[in-house]
Amino acid sequence: MTRERWLRWGSLAAAALVFAGLYVRHLTLPSPGGFAPARAARAASPAAPLYGAELLPNSTAPSVHSATAAEISGGRLRAFWYGGSREGAPDVAIYTSVYSPKEETWSPERAVITRELAQRHLRRSVRKLGNPVAGRDRAGRLCLFFVSVSVGGWAGSAINLMVSEDEGETWGPPRRLVASPFFNISTLVKGAPLQFADGATGLPVYHEFLGKFGELLRLDAPGHVIQKTRLSWGQSSLQPVIVPRSEAEAVGFMRYAGDPPNRILMIRTSDGGEHWSAPVKTALPNPNAAIASVLLADGRVLLAFNNAGENREDLSLALSEDFGDTWRIVRRLEGDPGSPGAPVPEYSYPWIVQDGAGEIHVLYTWGRSRIKHAHFNTAWLEKGR
Amino acid sequence: MSASDAFGLLGCGLLGLAAVATLIPLRRLPAGARYAVMLAAALAVFIPFGDLPAAAYLRGVTGDVSVTTLVLAGAACIARLTGRTLIGPRDLRALFWLVVLAALFLYPFALGWTQFDPYALGYGSIDFLTALLLVTLAAWRAKLYALMFIVIAAALAHLAGAYESRNLWDYLIDPLVCSYALARLLAHLRQFAPQFVRSRRAQDV
Repeated sequence: MTRERWLRWGSLAAAALVFAGLYVRHLTLPSPGGFAPARAARAASPAAPLYGAELLPNSTAPSVHSATAAEISGGRLRAFWYGGSREGAPDVAIYTSVYSPKEETWSPERAVITRELAQRHLRRSVRKLGNPVAGRDRAGRLCLFFVSVSVGGWAGSAINLMVSEDEGETWGPPRRLVASPFFNISTLVKGAPLQFADGATGLPVYHEFLGKFGELLRLDAPGHVIQKTRLSWGQSSLQPVIVPRSEAEAVGFMRYAGDPPNRILMIRTSDGGEHWSAPVKTALPNPNAAIASVLLADGRVLLAFNNAGENREDLSLALSEDFGDTWRIVRRLEGDPGSPGAPVPEYSYPWIVQDGAGEIHVLYTWGRSRIKHAHFNTAWLEKGR
Repeated sequence: MSASDAFGLLGCGLLGLAAVATLIPLRRLPAGARYAVMLAAALAVFIPFGDLPAAAYLRGVTGDVSVTTLVLAGAACIARLTGRTLIGPRDLRALFWLVVLAALFLYPFALGWTQFDPYALGYGSIDFLTALLLVTLAAWRAKLYALMFIVIAAALAHLAGAYESRNLWDYLIDPLVCSYALARLLAHLRQFAPQFVRSRRAQDV
């Protein structure tokens, strides 16, 4: 057989084998399931209103931002945030601290990951670190997603994932998530991860390079992106938070960065997150700021948001009893006239967790210099109406 | 170091070597000097200074490069070192057209232009696989074996999970190879445009 004939039929045979492999892999992929049922928190029982608040420890960083938290063993809460000399500085690290509900105290903060450590483990240059997001995968391991930038500003971001097998005491090395074909830049995270029935982890992310839009990533057990769904498109929606209610249904909320009127955006799915409605404006204001939301054990949706169209000086809570159609503003966490506030009146980037005992925790940036923790029960929310 | 990190660094390092091989007029040097220059460049690219090697800094900017970029970078290094052309002009032109068309289809939509996201097809879509199969069969029919080789190599790397990405698009193209292909096509068109205009004028007369 001549070389030409070898090349001709050998290349065809190689192509046939490789494409057979691609098709077999595709056809044997498990069909994506809907959302997994949320971990049950204890429903509210008649109780006296409870409320407490404190600032998280911060012994080193003049500037802190973007808190996140997950419940860990013993009903404790592990929080993460980023801090450094200023936002985007090379000395910014991701810090953690643990809250003990019995003592109502936070442990001294410690750095979980620094820029230098991330750079060494990721085997590429890293210029700065950004938003962390905490959650659990289906195996129950604690996951920490965080943003890093190699070139440029936040539009040059990529997301990384670290996993802990011991509730955040020690961590495996970070790995890079690939979510964009364009140098894998411009993917950031702010919303809480969620679980799919097939064992995959869902991660709401957003892009802010040429467009500002949200997506829902689907990650396999080792943390590879294996599918994604677009939540919005264009140039005005970011930082999605997703609140599943059943295997098929979920509602999502997004920060709005478009023309006035400035309102929180809402999206819905009824097929387990495979398709999403176009974003619509809710009645709640949004000064181009992050929001947080959670489905309470009693079925209501709680939302933390800046209740103003232009600034972040008022941080409030709203409840919805009809899964996002209508809202009642029930409490103001910050911004009461006359109450002592932060030197810089900015209260932003809230994060909500309802723990297994039914207590609700809201963490947020307090004047850019501290992270504040407000915790309360549903009776306290009711009393605020 | 994980296999995907090693493969990613190797790709970026090879890209760096191809840049060196292209910028330095290697063909004017004696054979021994050519290999010495490339060896020195390889050391500079892969040996860490500070925390990271130069390849890791490049990787921070470009991310992992596609198999198409790897093949072109490898072919450029070999051509500069030995004078052997591995990919003929006909294959190259077809590859460049294909890469540019794929980029026009992928990037505007992947960057949020509409709700349609072609990048998501790369995680597993029968339509996408079938389109790629048809392109590969067309390349086979046209005897564009280099193009076939690139698709097969990219698909094999994808099946092996060589990179951090599980998306087939990331193994096929990247913005660097798309920019390079567009530049080469524009240069080619500029070269042939005057001939085309002259022939049209001659017909008009």
